Amino acid sequence: MRSAGLRRTRRISRASAAALVTALALTSLASCGTSSSKDDDTNSASKGSSDPSAPLDPKAKVTISIDCMPPAAKAAELREWNEDIKTFNKTYPNVTINGKSTPGQCNEPPRFTAMLKGKSQPDVFYAYFSDLQQVLDNDGAEDISAYVTDKTVPALKDIQTQVVDVARKDGKLYGLPTSNYTMGLMINRKLFTEAGLDPNKPPATWDDVRTAAKKIADLGKGISGYGEYSAGNNGGWHFAATQFGLGGDVVDASGKKAAFNDANGKQVLQQLHDMRWEDDSMGKTQLLKWGDLQKQIASDKLGMFLAAPDDIAYMVQQLGAKYETFGLGPIPGAEGTLFGGNNYLIKKGSSPDQIKAGIAWLNFKNLTVGKGQFDWARTKADQLPVGLPQPNFFLGESKTKDDAARAANATMPVENFKAFMDNPVPGKAEPPKAQEIYKILDNAMSGVLTNEDANIDKLLSTAEQQVNQVLANQ
Amino acid sequence: MSAPTLSSRKATTPGPGHSRPARRDSAREDFLRAVRRNISAHGFLIGAVLCFSLFSWYPMVREFILAFQKTEDGKTTWAGWSNLTYVFNDPAFWQAWRNTLLFTVLALLLGFVVPFVVAVVLNEFRHGQGYLRLLVYLPVMLPPVASVLLFKYFYDPGYGLFNRILDVFHLPAQQWLQDTDTAMLSVVIAATWMNMGGATLIYLAALQGIPGELYEAAELDGAGLLRKVWHVTIPQTRLILSLLLLMQVIATMQVFTEPFLLTNGAGPEGSTTTVVYLIYQYAFNFNNYGSAAALGLVLLVVLAGFSAVYVRLSRSSED
Amino acid sequence: MASNTLVSRRGSDVRKSARRRAGRGADVGRQRTLISPAQLGRPRGKAFYWIVFTLVIILFTVAFLGPLYWMVTGGLKTTQEVVQSPPTAFPSSLHTENYSQAWTVMDLSKLLFNTLYYAFGALAFQLVFDVAAAYSLSKLRPVFGKVILGMMLATLMIPATVLVVPQYLTVLDVPVFQRNLVNSPWVIWLPSVTNAFNIFLLKRFFDSIPRELLDAASIDGASPLRTLRSIVLPISRPILGVVSIFAVVGVWKDFLWPMLTLPDPSKQTLNVGIYSLASGVPENVLIAALTIASIPTLLIFLLFQRNIMSGLTAGGLKG
Repeated sequence: MRSAGLRRTRRISRASAAALVTALALTSLASCGTSSSKDDDTNSASKGSSDPSAPLDPKAKVTISIDCMPPAAKAAELREWNEDIKTFNKTYPNVTINGKSTPGQCNEPPRFTAMLKGKSQPDVFYAYFSDLQQVLDNDGAEDISAYVTDKTVPALKDIQTQVVDVARKDGKLYGLPTSNYTMGLMINRKLFTEAGLDPNKPPATWDDVRTAAKKIADLGKGISGYGEYSAGNNGGWHFAATQFGLGGDVVDASGKKAAFNDANGKQVLQQLHDMRWEDDSMGKTQLLKWGDLQKQIASDKLGMFLAAPDDIAYMVQQLGAKYETFGLGPIPGAEGTLFGGNNYLIKKGSSPDQIKAGIAWLNFKNLTVGKGQFDWARTKADQLPVGLPQPNFFLGESKTKDDAARAANATMPVENFKAFMDNPVPGKAEPPKAQEIYKILDNAMSGVLTNEDANIDKLLSTAEQQVNQVLANQ
Repeated sequence: MSAPTLSSRKATTPGPGHSRPARRDSAREDFLRAVRRNISAHGFLIGAVLCFSLFSWYPMVREFILAFQKTEDGKTTWAGWSNLTYVFNDPAFWQAWRNTLLFTVLALLLGFVVPFVVAVVLNEFRHGQGYLRLLVYLPVMLPPVASVLLFKYFYDPGYGLFNRILDVFHLPAQQWLQDTDTAMLSVVIAATWMNMGGATLIYLAALQGIPGELYEAAELDGAGLLRKVWHVTIPQTRLILSLLLLMQVIATMQVFTEPFLLTNGAGPEGSTTTVVYLIYQYAFNFNNYGSAAALGLVLLVVLAGFSAVYVRLSRSSED
Repeated sequence: MASNTLVSRRGSDVRKSARRRAGRGADVGRQRTLISPAQLGRPRGKAFYWIVFTLVIILFTVAFLGPLYWMVTGGLKTTQEVVQSPPTAFPSSLHTENYSQAWTVMDLSKLLFNTLYYAFGALAFQLVFDVAAAYSLSKLRPVFGKVILGMMLATLMIPATVLVVPQYLTVLDVPVFQRNLVNSPWVIWLPSVTNAFNIFLLKRFFDSIPRELLDAASIDGASPLRTLRSIVLPISRPILGVVSIFAVVGVWKDFLWPMLTLPDPSKQTLNVGIYSLASGVPENVLIAALTIASIPTLLIFLLFQRNIMSGLTAGGLKG
């Protein structure tokens, strides 16, 4: 039908009346081209050195786009970002960096999936550690192994291998880390004191957590002792963290079978169920996702929840909380803890110079001691948080230097994180197909938190069946 | 003076070609005129047809193709029936159907009956009808995100307004969206509040078309209020009612925004996971477009079957 | 549950109700309804009427204006007061800064502008392409016109969300034109043209324009385009109004499609933008943002209330 229509349109030039409408129709479709976003990867001016291991030639003219620039609401961070670009441009005056900001979370899994499918990611794009497989499934990232060397990223040897290796698949490197975290137990010190608990000794076992939660909930005034997510993939994410803390696993070593339908998995759900229904220490509102518990603890309505240290910065900056409020302990159980973080990958199809420029920028902004995000003196001057335990992925000499600078510029009572710092728990990487599995496990979490008569065995076996199906389908 | 003008005049005058003596010539001319008329007619059509082809008809075809394909490491291959088996083996599949049916039934009970009753009552008022219509239609004009988040606050089991109201009447507090038993109902209540305005106005218009004599006749037969509604109001608005029913079913089967915003889609223990949400989840959480298309196909078949049966039934009852 | 759904039955009921009206002859004054005037005239009837009337007025005011009141005042409270139980009827202290904070933090001006831009762009496209298509199908009678119309109407039976996956994959790489429309306004505008319901409404209205009127014009040598412009469009004002409302409201209320196809935060619509920011701001600021987001459509609605309501009911019926 379409071809017939088009054949007619050629003859139509004689029929003036209809021609007008047709012309309108066709120009409108043709002018889609002007707003097309398909060919904007600007493969231009790639006349720099063809040797991938050579650093970027400062004369090379390159433009790169990059996401997760701080939004206008985070004024100080945005200022630092712009400052850093200025400094960076002193060395590389011909690199133009187009930042794209995201007011909410930089990476929301469904939006990220859609972005990959649409190949609309910027040249240098932000991802969670667990996203690599999905990116590769969509053929979305360049292999940058040859570009990342001691010359281009001098601190490389001083970065924890675990943190770099999440971006490696079959020996090829696809990204560079910006931050890492391990999950711990965040507490509200104010409520701990009010409830007669010692804020310097966060509960170390789940039994202790339960007792403490009950005492805090007994304060009344709508205060809950312990909070947990059960929506937006966050429930499953925390299920995995709790499971790791108990020494359990989510997916077995082969990566093909679910491994959470065991005594540990049962304990995870059972203790949540008991805290919610027997002790009534978890509040009535459930189906929470990232952001909700932060709001609660920041307004002194929540005693404890599992969190990464950088949540503190979020709560202070965006929710108006105070650093003194928060303390941090290791994850209860302490057999292992979920470790995760973010890295930047480089879009498939970028020119060698774009790749080099991207790596140069990432190195400067995120991976250099004393520069960019690790310029603690500046961070302090801008009244941003200094002294959080993480991101902290350096080793050896770099770590010594960085730790010293952190301590010297600390803007918060660092001793409140002593329990967390002194009891490092071995980090455990997220399972394959992490977001899919988390999504499925959300249901198990919401099951025990919203249904007093939830059948834990059934919740686990249903989730197991679904996870196995997802894993088999890769 | 342009060619199509002539042709369209010709086409609309009776007995085309009557002024020409030679028959072969006139046949040729008729043909040319028809061509010219069609060029101009299709010229008017082409914008819409192109858009339909690209964004409606082609995706429909593509749905079928996708359902039998899978994509791995950037390569697309034929998948046979594996997407459909995946869908049918997913425990969430049957749950999603149960939820969708529950939603449809509840949405019909509330979203279909409430606006009708409201319209019947409003239609009796001799005062303030404009104000009441305005009120009922107000939520339709709100951005859905505003209405839905409002209800989320009202439903909160801690500080929510609804539990406060129940408390005033000494009724037990509810968990609303947080309980597997009431989650879907809560979603439907919010959806009804948001959308009933349109339906109410339609009913009002239909009610005003009912001849008053019919009521008078019924009264002469001694009919009471309910019998008048049953024997006059409902039969007289039957066509509107039945069409609305069909549209409501199709619309409720594809509900997405309300559960997505109220309960993040899944809800407690997956109790607000609808078929459409499951499609979304397959595609955009699991990156599994094949299974998403396969499930879409299943829903399509069910809806097509429903429409066919429904149209047949309502046609036979009309005769 | 789109507003489209609501009016469709009107369209097909047109003939029936028109016949009914014609059959009733001249109906002067207020029409007879369910309850007889005599019954209402009696003292007991009168008292009953006023009691029910007052109750309904109060109930509706609370049910439909109450949430809006809660929203406006909620935006003026402190975070603690918003989540306080029992809630306060009036903010204990006024915090207007929540509104200015919502405006800047959530970048509402940009979201508002985006939404208006998409909505009125979609309106323009629909007015040009859909009117042209409906005119052609109704008056120019192209070959395959019936088939094309049928294929367009068939899309009404298929819920939009079922096709969301193939449609999404299509806009990523539009066939023939090889374009990726994601993050461009075209991704809203062009698919909005595939509004079969609006085409249907327009065509029905055009069908009702007497042939003689157009024939006269074409004998005078007017081209189809001029006929459309100078004869058809002026008498079609009411239906154009209805279609415009549907077009704008449709874009204004859409959620899933813009969420998928406009991932860039600087290009998002109001609904999607507020949704994705909701978890990152304190509750009172979020409520203030909801209030601001509701104002534009509410204003438009209140200003053009008369036209919109009569357009929705009478206009639809005439069409």
